[in-house]
Order: sequence, then structure tokens, then C-alpha cells
Amino acid sequence: MKNYGLGIACVLWGALTISSVGAGGIIPDTSSLIFVGKQMGAPVEGRFKHFDVDITFKPTNLAQSHAKIEVDLASIDLASDESETEIKRKSWFNVAVFPKAVFESTAFHALGGDRYEVAGRLSIKGITRDMTVPLQFRTVAGIRVAEGSVVIRRSDFRIGEGVWADPESVAEEVQVRYKMALKP
Amino acid sequence: MNQYKYDTTAITLHWLVALLIVIAFSVGHYMADLDLSPWKLKVFAWHKWVGVTIFGLVLFRMMWRATHVVPPLPAGMSELMRKISGLGHLGIYLLMLAIPLTGWLHSSAAGVTVVYFNVITLPDLVQKNKELSNLFKEVHELLNWTLLGLVILHVVAALKHQFVDKDNLLNRMRW
Ligand code: HEM
Ligand code: HEM
Repeated sequence: MKNYGLGIACVLWGALTISSVGAGGIIPDTSSLIFVGKQMGAPVEGRFKHFDVDITFKPTNLAQSHAKIEVDLASIDLASDESETEIKRKSWFNVAVFPKAVFESTAFHALGGDRYEVAGRLSIKGITRDMTVPLQFRTVAGIRVAEGSVVIRRSDFRIGEGVWADPESVAEEVQVRYKMALKP
Repeated sequence: MNQYKYDTTAITLHWLVALLIVIAFSVGHYMADLDLSPWKLKVFAWHKWVGVTIFGLVLFRMMWRATHVVPPLPAGMSELMRKISGLGHLGIYLLMLAIPLTGWLHSSAAGVTVVYFNVITLPDLVQKNKELSNLFKEVHELLNWTLLGLVILHVVAALKHQFVDKDNLLNRMRW
């Protein structure tokens, strides 16, 4: 499977707009990590202001490609000061004990064009789970942008325990959208 | 039909909206002081649904008002009193629109989309922005106190007409 993906990547090489990305970070101002959950059936948007990204991406050598994202959970921007305080508490992220959420890739798969699938592990609140994240590259004004979205079930990571576990007031599924503007 | 009375549509809207405003106002105050909990989220949602209902009814009511002639005021009222009464009603109408609008803006700016009765998704009026959200919250609250002041004057005026001037003004708003 890996070889097959690699083959596609090689065949597509001529048409590709992506060349390899060295180990590097992101341009914070144009990058974003937004999530959309639902409370009482209504979409609620929030975002994380600080996260570190380390990505090595070689379209011709996906096996050597690697990505790691570390999210500073305390940097959350939510509806109000009150909800920001609440979500840092024990029953939600428990940031005092688990300050970071980490996603680290284990394999890249080419899907054709500028689209890839990244298998990896997501760790939040001391719980690690396998996860597959879609990834698409675009070039905006000469800057390479990696983006995609994935749905996380909050109960998988015990985000919102006790009274907050009830999916009626806060839905299980949370969509996470990332947009990373990669440093040239 | 009695030319000294509002019609059934206007009377029904007046009392229905008045009742819903009392509910939205009381619920609003109750919920604002709650600690964050699933219950608070529920009450917030209900408050918004009542508020949006008021908004819709008031839009309809203003259309009614723009297309109907209202009964003439009691003959004994001075020119100044008529002006004050007219301005007062206009003020109440504007607040009945501005309050739901600022509530909706507050919600949008907080990043919370308003979904009417969990069915109809209203558009987000502004992008998520916490400072803006806090500002709209303050304005929403301030306008509510202003409305409370006007409604108290409104009720005192109605009672004064009824019991001091004895011009049976209340009858105009009775089915
Ligand atoms: C939240 C409560 C209330 C609101 C927002 C409200 C609002 C209004 C408005 C906007 C009008 C003008 C109608 C028009 O000409 O288009 C009106 C008229 C009237 N209201 Fe209220 N009202 C409220 C409560 C009350 C109460 C409690 C009373 C009785 C004590 C009352 C008695 C009247 C009467 C008698 C009129 C007719 C005035 C006239 O003949 O021009 N209202 N109200
Ligand atoms: C005429 C209709 C409405 C009335 C009379 C009303 C009244 C109130 C009152 C009295 C409060 C408490 C203010 C405070 O002490 O902080 C409040 C809060 C609130 N209202 Fe309304 N409201 C109305 C419509 C709406 C609508 C349509 C929405 C949203 C779609 C809305 C959203 C909110 C929110 C989110 C709060 C909580 C503020 C906070 O603590 O963050 N309201 N409202």
C-alpha cells in the first residue's frame, strides 16, 4: 500500500505544485486551528491561538514524511471568559495536568493531486487514539498551506465528564479544522 | 366595529408580545447569573427562542401598524401629551427590535449560531469576536433596562388615563 501511494506520488510528480517541505514551523498569523461543536443543537465555534507544528514533507518520499502538532490547550478562545475558564477545568481539558493536545503522524498516503491522508495518533488528556486526518495542500500567494478537517468524539478523550457528558447539551462530535501556512 | 378600539389583530399582538417580553426579561435575568452548566445552556437556548419569536411578531406588528389607521386618542389629551405618547410608543417599538437584534449579535459574536427551535438556523450576523460579544452583551442589557423604564411609564400612563382621567383608555386594548 505504501509503495502504491509512493508510485502515484512519483507519477504525479510532474504535475505537482508541491515540492518537499523541510522540517519547520508555520506562519502563526495565517494559520488557524478552529473547532465547531454544538450546544443545544446550535453550532459553537472556538479556536486555539497557540500551537506548534513540525512538518517534514516529501511528496516523493512519503515514508520519510512526518508531522507533529502540539496544541496549547490553555490558549483556547471560546464564547465567553466563563466558558473558557470552565473548559480548562478538570471535567473538560484539565489543562493543569494535561496542558497539550498532540497529534503525531505515523504514515502519509497519497490520494492523488495535492491530497493526502495522514494516519497518526492523537493524545488529549492522557488518552491516545489512532486517527486519520485528510490533508490538502494549496498555494496561496506563494505560501504553501496545508489544510483539512476531522471529526473528534469528545467522549473518546473524556472531554466533558460528569454533568457535561450528556450529548444533548453539548454534542459528542466536534469538528476540528486546521489551516497551516508553512514557513518557506 | 368600534372606531375607538384597536382591532383584534393589534390587541392580540399587544398582549402576546407583552407577555413574551415579561418572560424573556425574567428568564434573561435569571439565566445571566447562573453558573455555567448544561441547565444554563438550555435556558439560554429557550431565551433565544422566545426572543426571536418576539422579533418576528414585532416585525409583523410594525407592518400591521404601517398599514392601519389607529383609533384617535381621547379628545381631552393635549398636543404635548399626544407627542409624548407617540414618541413613547415609537421608542418601545424600536427597543422591541433592537433588543432581539443585539441578543442575536451578542450570540453571533460569541461564536454561537442561533438555531430557532433547533430547526431554523439563523445566519451569523458577525464573525466570532469576544470583545464585540461582550460589548453587545452590555448593550443588550442596557437596552433592556431602557425598555423596562419605558414600559413602567407606559403602564403608569395607561392607569392614569383609566383611573384619573377616567377616559376608559384601557378599553382600546381590550378584546
Ligand atoms: C411589555 C409590556 C408592554 C409593551 C411592550 C407594550 C407596548 C405597547 C405599544 C408599542 C403600544 C402602541 C400600539 C400602537 O399604537 O401601535 C401600546 C399601546 C397600549 N398599551 Fe401597551 N405595552 C405593554 C404593556 C401594557 C400594559 C401592562 C398595559 C395596561 C396597563 C398596556 C396598555 C396599553 C394601552 C391601553 C395601549 C393603547 C394606547 C393607545 O390607545 O394609543 N400596555 N403598548
Ligand atoms: C425582546 C426580546 C428579549 C428580551 C426582553 C431579552 C432580555 C434579556 C435580559 C433581561 C437579559 C439579562 C441581561 C443581563 O443581566 O446580563 C438577557 C440576556 C441575554 N440575552 Fe436576551 N432578550 C431578548 C432577546 C434575545 C435574543 C433574540 C437573543 C439571541 C438570539 C438573546 C440573547 C441573550 C443572551 C445570550 C443573553 C445572556 C447574556 C450573557 O450573560 O452572556 N436575547 N436578555
